[in-house]
Amino acid sequence: MITPGRLTGARSAGMRGEGKVPVVGVPLYLRPRLEPPLTSLLAEPPFLHSLVDALGSPLNVLLPERIAENADRFRAVYRDHHLAGRVYYAHKANRSSALVRRLAAADPAGVGIDVASLGELRHALGCGVTPDRIMATGPKDPEFLWLAARVGATVNLDSPGELEQLAGMVRKYDLPRTDVLLRLSAFESAEDSPRAGVRVLSRRSRFGSPVGEVGELLSAFERHRDAVELQGVAYHLDTTAVAEKVRALERCVVVMDECRARGLAPRVIDVGGGFGVGYVADAGQWERYTTALTEAVLGTRPPLTWRGHGYGLRNEGGTVRGAAALYPAYRPTAGPGYLDELLSLPTPSLGRPPATLLLEHLYDLYVEPGRALVDQCGLSLARVLDVRRTGQGGGGYLVRLGMNAGDVSLEEHGVLVDPVLLPRTGGVGEGGEGPVGVHLVGNLCLEADLITRRTVFLPRLPRSGDLLAFANTAGYVMDFHAHHAQRQPVARTVAVTREGDSWRWCLDEEYWPITHPGGQGA
Amino acid sequence: MRYDSITDAIGNTPLVRIDPVVHGLRHIDLYAKLEMLNPFGSVKDRPAWNMARPLLEAAAGGGETVVELSSGNTAKALALLAGMHGLRFKSVTNRMRVPEIKELLLLLGAEIEELPGQSECLDPTDTDDPLTRFHQALSEPGSAYVHTDQYFNPRNTEAHAAGTGPEIVKDLDGRAPDWFIACVGTAGSSTGVARVLREHDPKVRVLGLVAHKSDFIPGIRTIDEVRQVGLFDPATYDTIESVTSDEAIDGMLTLIRRCGLLSGPTGGAAYEGAVRHLRAVDAELSDSEQRQTAVFIVCDRAESYLSYIRQRRPELLGSRLRGPSAAALTEAEIQADAKAVGSDDARRWITAGEPRPIVVDLRGPHAYAALHIEGSVNIVDELFDELVRGGLPFSKRQPVLLACPVGEKSARYAALLTRMGHPDVRSLAGGIVAWRDAGAPLVRE
Repeated sequence: MITPGRLTGARSAGMRGEGKVPVVGVPLYLRPRLEPPLTSLLAEPPFLHSLVDALGSPLNVLLPERIAENADRFRAVYRDHHLAGRVYYAHKANRSSALVRRLAAADPAGVGIDVASLGELRHALGCGVTPDRIMATGPKDPEFLWLAARVGATVNLDSPGELEQLAGMVRKYDLPRTDVLLRLSAFESAEDSPRAGVRVLSRRSRFGSPVGEVGELLSAFERHRDAVELQGVAYHLDTTAVAEKVRALERCVVVMDECRARGLAPRVIDVGGGFGVGYVADAGQWERYTTALTEAVLGTRPPLTWRGHGYGLRNEGGTVRGAAALYPAYRPTAGPGYLDELLSLPTPSLGRPPATLLLEHLYDLYVEPGRALVDQCGLSLARVLDVRRTGQGGGGYLVRLGMNAGDVSLEEHGVLVDPVLLPRTGGVGEGGEGPVGVHLVGNLCLEADLITRRTVFLPRLPRSGDLLAFANTAGYVMDFHAHHAQRQPVARTVAVTREGDSWRWCLDEEYWPITHPGGQGA
Repeated sequence: MRYDSITDAIGNTPLVRIDPVVHGLRHIDLYAKLEMLNPFGSVKDRPAWNMARPLLEAAAGGGETVVELSSGNTAKALALLAGMHGLRFKSVTNRMRVPEIKELLLLLGAEIEELPGQSECLDPTDTDDPLTRFHQALSEPGSAYVHTDQYFNPRNTEAHAAGTGPEIVKDLDGRAPDWFIACVGTAGSSTGVARVLREHDPKVRVLGLVAHKSDFIPGIRTIDEVRQVGLFDPATYDTIESVTSDEAIDGMLTLIRRCGLLSGPTGGAAYEGAVRHLRAVDAELSDSEQRQTAVFIVCDRAESYLSYIRQRRPELLGSRLRGPSAAALTEAEIQADAKAVGSDDARRWITAGEPRPIVVDLRGPHAYAALHIEGSVNIVDELFDELVRGGLPFSKRQPVLLACPVGEKSARYAALLTRMGHPDVRSLAGGIVAWRDAGAPLVRE
């Protein structure tokens, strides 16, 4: 008998969460990782139902207190390593005002905001974030650059051309001398490799200046000293691999050295590129699911997805080729833990870990943890509008929601995780129904409008009027891709805070840190 | 034995019986096929040579580079073979997870290319995984690469069908064993050997071992990874089971400490997986039945995996350092015995002290070179730690000011030196950071 993935031996079975054999037909759950206050919010279906009744489906719900807690967790890692510097929230992760205003009320020396457009910059200023805590990143149009320089925000320079543009602007419009960070990229060229023979490859980025050309750039800085002040260097590597980031950080230390040798006095190294979020709670569920997906692609088990979609895996003559384009949704270390790991690993040529290097060289650390900073900060709600059987006698169901794929862009980010079913009546499991596999389809008249291509298992078949809650959507998944196609409503966003045993809510734009007892001002 | 070439020494490895006292199986004789005794050190010597031979003969001296996706033994064998033929060798890998293997490959003259990690900000429409790009580079016009393609090359399997399998049958007096147990990496050894054994006796049962999905065992793939291997055919195996790194190390320890076999973790996994599976089989057998035989492969040796062991079972390598240690001091002891001096007082002490203190900067040399207190001496903490284990490194008449980034390590060492009898060691309070913040001068020489 061929039993792929079979686990024998007490030791093997005991090490895993559930240790069960994956069998066709057993629901392949990917239960979301939930932490307070999201857990207690999800324990209040009547409250969430009343919000959707009043404000419509879809609805975004944010927990501004949690973002401040997340920032504190990152700051705790700084403290453990004796490091100074700010944790920056990337505004692009969410359009919310509540989140930005809550961070405005956090420790100014510890928390800042990273803005990537004129609109985000104006929004941050209007939310009470002072310019010394604002960093302007990404591609910049002249108005964005002017306002950033005018108010005294730090400009994270993307290219040598942008340096020329900024310096010219500072002189022409008599702007204050502007603090800048220099974003570097292309760390993989062999000459940087401390050990000849080992080349760690990295994905190519469209942003930043190649580290190999840093000499010319620094010469340009020397020419523009009257207009800009080099605060330090930055890098954003889009990779989960800590080794690539450690190498880049070490290289930044060397570049900073070159800056000092030229008489510049930088003191910041800025690390971005995402520190990860664990969306799925259980390692065993994630492993079983991904193994089953491979089996489905090979045809040894029924499809786990709409129309047998393979998420990038292909079956070529009985062998799986390609790579699964899935966000690694189960993370043993993510967020603050990831930062700690990054700071603790030995660097490839200097040997000392990044934290020690930063500390010993008297450098401050800036980080942009990306979605990790909004981990557990919110959820997206959708009303179940219709439930029916799929046509082809597959035994499955189509569940149509009052939202579309743009409202919860899980698929766009390759994130696979189950929604939480919040029954209208509160009666779970009525009629003795058991777990059921469904496809979640959106409200657009479009074949491709699936909330997720995955067959989602729910504890029972939903009914019209029930709610599905997609947890942990505050980072990029909530409103980044939301659109007005077909004049379908875009989700409203509310901020909720816990007050004693009950929850209070207000529209996102009405939230200020002093309005709620959970906030700073009360 | 005399050979013209080391490649002639590949194969004909011993088959050694494991003492039943060790494995405890009453009705099954368990044999280890010692592939670790191949000249380049592993089971991969056979396929590496078999795959590379025709390519090397065609390419010899042509300035080409042999390239393979390998982070271990295949790379090792190919690097040596390429070197013998005047070619270069490049290993492309996801991540070299065992540092010694990486260093060994560099010693052998290999180039290593590590593929980038998964994207953190995923673009699902980007379906070009790094391997696709690797294959593109190989097939570019004018490419000077010779690719052995171990996961798809039938010559990998053939090497074992022609060598390993028949050798086992010969050493068992012309009979196939009842059981064959192999760890699945490229699936080459298990597929090749199983084919030969089944030709002799269709009743042979084959147990394939894969690594536990969230775990890592060198040379073994997980069940998902195995499915990406072109040579892998599930029909080869009667059963596929997974083993953990913990079991691999247990097995390795048994082979090393009780059987005199210097096996690495892969061989340990094969042994442990074999015994675990056969124990149940053995319990069903009775004394009246014919004894059964089982063969597993010992893939390579232990020496290259010390850091792998250190990571998982540090206690196995745990010789404690002797001598006074700053790390052993409690917070209370540091509080009691470390004298600290603030930046302003330290400046006065350095310029006008009688006698003046020697300033020891405990930071790394790169940081010291970038900026330091004028006249200070750099002894990096790791080195300082070694020094004090041997005794006081300063005369008792020489006052000492210790400096580190924030005054934490320096306080620890100041307490230690005081406890070792030095009368005047002080720690720079708040470290170099406080010194800088106080506006005291730092120089770059």
